Amino acid sequence: MTDTIELTPGYWTNGDLPLNVRVGANTVITSDYAFKRFRSRRDPALTIGNNCTMDGVHFAIGEEGRIEIGDHCYVTNAVLLCELELRIGTYVVIGWNTTIADTDFHPIAPAERIADAIACSTVGKGRPRPHIARRPVVIEDDVWIGPNATILKGVRVGAGAWIEAGALIVRDVPPATRVMGNPAQYIEMP
Amino acid sequence: MTPIRSLRTLPWDWYPGQIPDNVVVDKTAYIETAYSFYLYRSEQPVGVRVGRGASTYLGTMFDVGPRGQVIVGEYTLLHGARIICDAEIHIGDYCLISWNVVLMDSYRLPFDIRERRRELDRVSSRVPRRVEVAVPTRPIRVGHNVWIGFDACILPGVQIGEGSIVGARSVVSADVDPYCIVAGNPARVIRKLDCN
Repeated sequence: MTDTIELTPGYWTNGDLPLNVRVGANTVITSDYAFKRFRSRRDPALTIGNNCTMDGVHFAIGEEGRIEIGDHCYVTNAVLLCELELRIGTYVVIGWNTTIADTDFHPIAPAERIADAIACSTVGKGRPRPHIARRPVVIEDDVWIGPNATILKGVRVGAGAWIEAGALIVRDVPPATRVMGNPAQYIEMP
Repeated sequence: MTPIRSLRTLPWDWYPGQIPDNVVVDKTAYIETAYSFYLYRSEQPVGVRVGRGASTYLGTMFDVGPRGQVIVGEYTLLHGARIICDAEIHIGDYCLISWNVVLMDSYRLPFDIRERRRELDRVSSRVPRRVEVAVPTRPIRVGHNVWIGFDACILPGVQIGEGSIVGARSVVSADVDPYCIVAGNPARVIRKLDCN
């Protein structure tokens, strides 16, 4: 690709970007809710490359979370839930209403879940939350993810993979494969 | 001075947009908001036809490309579906279609990685930033009296027979016979319905 045109700096259509967000040239973020649940204290907390379109994306990044997105990505109305790390490559397309999460949000063990409910409640101010499983999610270059798909913690989606609409991904997807379903299974590329 | 409202605006609408000229809405049909046409760009003589007594509620999006045509049958309820149409999506009469249902007759982008990159290179210089590459489309046909549960996806080329039910969160990738209940991802028949 030849970058012959002078590129304008990236921006958010609805206001000033948080200071710990870095956005590349010609990248546009839309929607008033893009940073409604953005609480990351890392710097940078969100890095987006050049020529990206982030149309109606929720950047729901927790205090210790960090998201990195490459160039030429096209993401519509996805919900990116990140408490640790989410890395998205270049030329990645993510469809409408897809959720990617790198955490379970709450503990599995019943007693710990009670402790977490209290810590999260109005009367549990300042009480530390129990340990919650979280593992980085990696989406490699040229991945296509359909609408209504879900990708959960610890998953690596290999380069060029095609995730069908509505698929639930809990295990790694090898490069250049097409998967669909719940649980996700391989299907042929058309 | 009160602004003059065009016949294509809805008196109850919170959104300032209009119903596009090539959308034909029966006078008994109900459109909750013109926002449903925010992504609409059909150049067909009739891009969307909404039949007698049919209703489209908040969240329904007609994401219809220049060559797309959508037909919504009589008495059909669309309660927040995403209709991604570049060819033809035909929804029959008496259908009940729930929220966050995706009906798509096109993947909008090529499977070939090099071709996909070429289009993504172009998208970021367009205003608005829309994917416009020609890819194979496969029309969708939903028969009369079909009920589709929330979050379900209907993939390109699928035909759903009359009277059938698609369970919530199902992904339908193959045709569904009339009078069946299908569920799962991918969807499979879980029961037959009495067709009387």
